[in-house]
Amino acid sequence: MDTVLSTMFYFWVSLFIVFLLIQRGLWIFSDVAKGTVSFMLEKAIGPGADLVEGRVGSGARSWIMQGTLWLILGSMFTFMSMWLSHDPDALHSLASWGYSANTHELSSAGVYATLYGSVSMLIIGSSFHIIPKLSGTELASETNANLVSFVWTLSVLIMVIGSQNNLILDLEIIPIGVALNTVALLAVIMNHLLTVANRTKNLALPGWLILIALLSNPVLSIVSIASGAVNDNVGQWMTYHLFGGTFFFLGVAGVALYSSSIVSGNPLWSKTLVGVTLFGSIFTINPFGDINGQMVIDVFGPLAESNVVSFTNEDMLSASFLMALVSIPILAFSSNMLVTMRGSDMFVDDPNSSGNAELNLGSWLIIPIAIGSLFIQTDAVSGTNELTGISNSLSMMSGWLVLVPLSLGAALSLYPELVGRHLLSQTRARWGFWMMAGGAMFGISITMIADFMDMALAELLIEDPSALSEELRKVGSVMFYGVVIGSILHSLNMVSGMFRGDLISKKSVTSSSISVESYSLVSPTTVRRILASGADLDTEVIPTGENDEKGSATKL
Amino acid sequence: MSINTTDSVEGFLQGEKEPSGSWIFIALGVSISLSFLLLYSILYPGQDLPVISDLVPVFSGVFDSGIWFFILGTMIGVFAILGRLLLEATSE
Repeated sequence: MDTVLSTMFYFWVSLFIVFLLIQRGLWIFSDVAKGTVSFMLEKAIGPGADLVEGRVGSGARSWIMQGTLWLILGSMFTFMSMWLSHDPDALHSLASWGYSANTHELSSAGVYATLYGSVSMLIIGSSFHIIPKLSGTELASETNANLVSFVWTLSVLIMVIGSQNNLILDLEIIPIGVALNTVALLAVIMNHLLTVANRTKNLALPGWLILIALLSNPVLSIVSIASGAVNDNVGQWMTYHLFGGTFFFLGVAGVALYSSSIVSGNPLWSKTLVGVTLFGSIFTINPFGDINGQMVIDVFGPLAESNVVSFTNEDMLSASFLMALVSIPILAFSSNMLVTMRGSDMFVDDPNSSGNAELNLGSWLIIPIAIGSLFIQTDAVSGTNELTGISNSLSMMSGWLVLVPLSLGAALSLYPELVGRHLLSQTRARWGFWMMAGGAMFGISITMIADFMDMALAELLIEDPSALSEELRKVGSVMFYGVVIGSILHSLNMVSGMFRGDLISKKSVTSSSISVESYSLVSPTTVRRILASGADLDTEVIPTGENDEKGSATKL
Repeated sequence: MSINTTDSVEGFLQGEKEPSGSWIFIALGVSISLSFLLLYSILYPGQDLPVISDLVPVFSGVFDSGIWFFILGTMIGVFAILGRLLLEATSE
């Protein structure tokens, strides 16, 4: 059996066993396991538990706030890497401090800060709110969730430092950060499993998406090491894409699908499509991201050998086939999101619909970016390598125009319920959205045009770089700075909203965006709220009388 | 524009609420200024845009690239968030 199919087979079997164990429990050991995990989450951390608060929602809040702050660093590193691609000596003055910046290392720091720092923290933060809600219980340990967020942040910081200088005192830094990250992730998973074990109702499908996403991370690591995939060039590529398709895509899909219902007030459109998203993501290869497995080599450190990617015919056939199938889960996810949010044209003006714009953006753009990524990966897998020049730009697009908007949109939509207040300013939220969306879309697109120009020049064997291409890269990087400003605006809005945002009213949370024929007016309200509930100009508003007279028993 | 709440000083009126369309003019202004910046290199070929070390000679050899405008801007933003956090936490 070839590397692609064998790695995927072991991964599927392992995930199936884990799923069965969650569903059926550990037989007579279930109660012992619950007690042990509960002890490990609360008592075993000793005085560390006193450092943080354990109020309901504090864990999710802590993860989401730190995830948003990582967004600033992630976008800043990416911006600097784009700038240095046309002006390599821009930061030469930092050499006097012993730091020599280059575009490749800064790009790598941007990837770690964005994916591990921001997207992962926003997914996990949202999951700490979503899983208990869907389980009909409270989170097993808020204190542990809160404390572990700081361990995760520390691990990302180590990875970012490692991306600049991976060898300090003869120690590889990135694997140390990854090891610490895995410890934090295991604590998160234990917390979720204990919460699900105490559930009072069946877990809805978005909850399963999130759980499988979190579990896939350690399962895939073990499978890759055990099967030897981390040492094989194709195995490294596979591990990278399986990781992106399960941990990141499934995680983002889970929180986004839940939030689409929250922001629109509509029920999630199709359970079948959520199921297709879940199984499709596990059984296919997600094409988002790099065309090589370099990140896997960095992450696994001494366990992985550096190899040049070279596919055999069998591997090429299996990989191309499984990548082509990814259109099924992606279309299922996108259509489910967009139909669930139908009619919700409130955008970001309505305080009850924070995150709506980001969720819409990610749901629309995931399809064209997935198709583009499919072309790039197929080109790389087949060894043609004609589109390698634009792979980096497209990889950035999948991060900044799909994963970040969807995870940030989900976090913003849950923010009022977590904090008890709305964002400080909807105008600032609107600005933040436009700056981030416009900056990422125009900045990366213009950079991609420059990539195309360089590819054309290289094909014509012209060695001198084009002046116009350099100018375009300059404009692209300046445009991308909008993402940095947008991140700062969002962070500032969320931090200020925690203290001075308008208090949420319980009535306003559950209005549907589907068009209604009649609207019962029971108390004075605004036209905006009536429209937000799905009413249009033809909707009949029916005043329902109320009086304060004392009632009497109903005659049967 | 909402003018239900206004400041009035001897006949001078100023609405307190911001009209929703005003941002269009700000965005237009930013776009035009960016276009002029792009024109700069065409109008003055060979001359780069001024950087911080050109404006403040004491930073000569340090802030001698345009990227520092952006890095300083980000630092102001980050410090604004930290300042807001400290201010809000200690205001009670």
